[in-house]
Amino acid sequence: MLATGLTLYLLSKEIYVINHETISGAVVLSLAVYGIKKYGPAVAAFADRLMEEELARFESLKGAYIAGCEKGIEDEKKQQWRVEGRHYLFDAKRNNIAMILEANYRERLLTASREVKKKLDYQVALQQLKRSMERDHMINWVEQSVWQSVTAQQEKESIAKCILDLKALSKTAQASL
Amino acid sequence: MNENLFASFTTPMMMGVPIVVLIIIFPSILFPSPNRLINNRLATVQQWLIQLVSKHMLSIHNYKGQTWALMLMSLILFIGSTNLLGLLPHSFTPTTQLSMNLGMAIPLWAGTVVMGFRHKTKASLAHFLPQGTPLPLIPMLVIIETISLFIQPVALAVRLTANITAGHLLIHLIGGATLVLMNINPVTALITFIILILLTILELAVALIQAYVFTLLVSLYLHDNT
Repeated sequence: MLATGLTLYLLSKEIYVINHETISGAVVLSLAVYGIKKYGPAVAAFADRLMEEELARFESLKGAYIAGCEKGIEDEKKQQWRVEGRHYLFDAKRNNIAMILEANYRERLLTASREVKKKLDYQVALQQLKRSMERDHMINWVEQSVWQSVTAQQEKESIAKCILDLKALSKTAQASL
Repeated sequence: MNENLFASFTTPMMMGVPIVVLIIIFPSILFPSPNRLINNRLATVQQWLIQLVSKHMLSIHNYKGQTWALMLMSLILFIGSTNLLGLLPHSFTPTTQLSMNLGMAIPLWAGTVVMGFRHKTKASLAHFLPQGTPLPLIPMLVIIETISLFIQPVALAVRLTANITAGHLLIHLIGGATLVLMNINPVTALITFIILILLTILELAVALIQAYVFTLLVSLYLHDNT
């Protein structure tokens, strides 16, 4: 309302003169309106996108920091849990060492017993050897004394007796056949 | 056409007060300084634009040349904004005044030349003689190179003045022709109107391009002399 009245007043009283600048102003105005209508939203969206990217950069930085802190918390909790479970490790190690000591002890026990057995076996073998040597020696001595005691006379008599026995036996053998 | 054609090029006075200083300072309020991390759309777009232009324009310079970044960026912004604002009706464009353009061109050009002479004296003097000139031509060539050196600031200023002034004059003339032809023959007026539209688009381009050319040439002189 005011614009129409004001414009008509200015024009009729030639306070605002229509000259070449009016035409050029009209052209510039129409070009400006056309440009803004056509490219306005695109430029606005572009500017908004620039701002969004900037904000997103900062937000991502903040998010990264927060994530890092949270991860640190998680890691700390895990570390605390690990500390609680340390006694398992120590028990296992203790058992391990005990087992090794036991095995070692048994091994040494076995070695010692083997050594003792070897010594005892030696003594037994020694005794047996002595006994067998004594036996052999006695047999030899007995044989030798028997051979020596059998004189020539007795030898002849025993041979004749054997021949008589053999003849008698042969007779009985023939008779049984 | 109640006034003469050159009325828009006189120093603007309002009730006898020269407000040309205000007009020169005016475009600076159209560039808000980015205060926050995330600014409004205008500041964001301007920030992005300045980053783009500075990256392209300063990529050819070494460290010493890149200290001129602020100067060159403010130069291109000032010339571009004043040229664009001059396309509005009843506005005054400071860059149409030769005095102002000389005032911009001569100190900048002289700055690059003096810097070149101070830091790389031999190379600056060697610029006066292109490589591989035959011996008899040397004196003349030195004179020619000197003249071409001293004409650089004049060319910078006159180029800008002439382009913007010519564009404005054409717009005023064709606008006046359209106005007059509207009563005589509306069809021709329509044709002239269309010509005016095209001309305005050209002037938009010229406004921006002139700013770019001015700054580019200064940066080129800088590159020679750093």
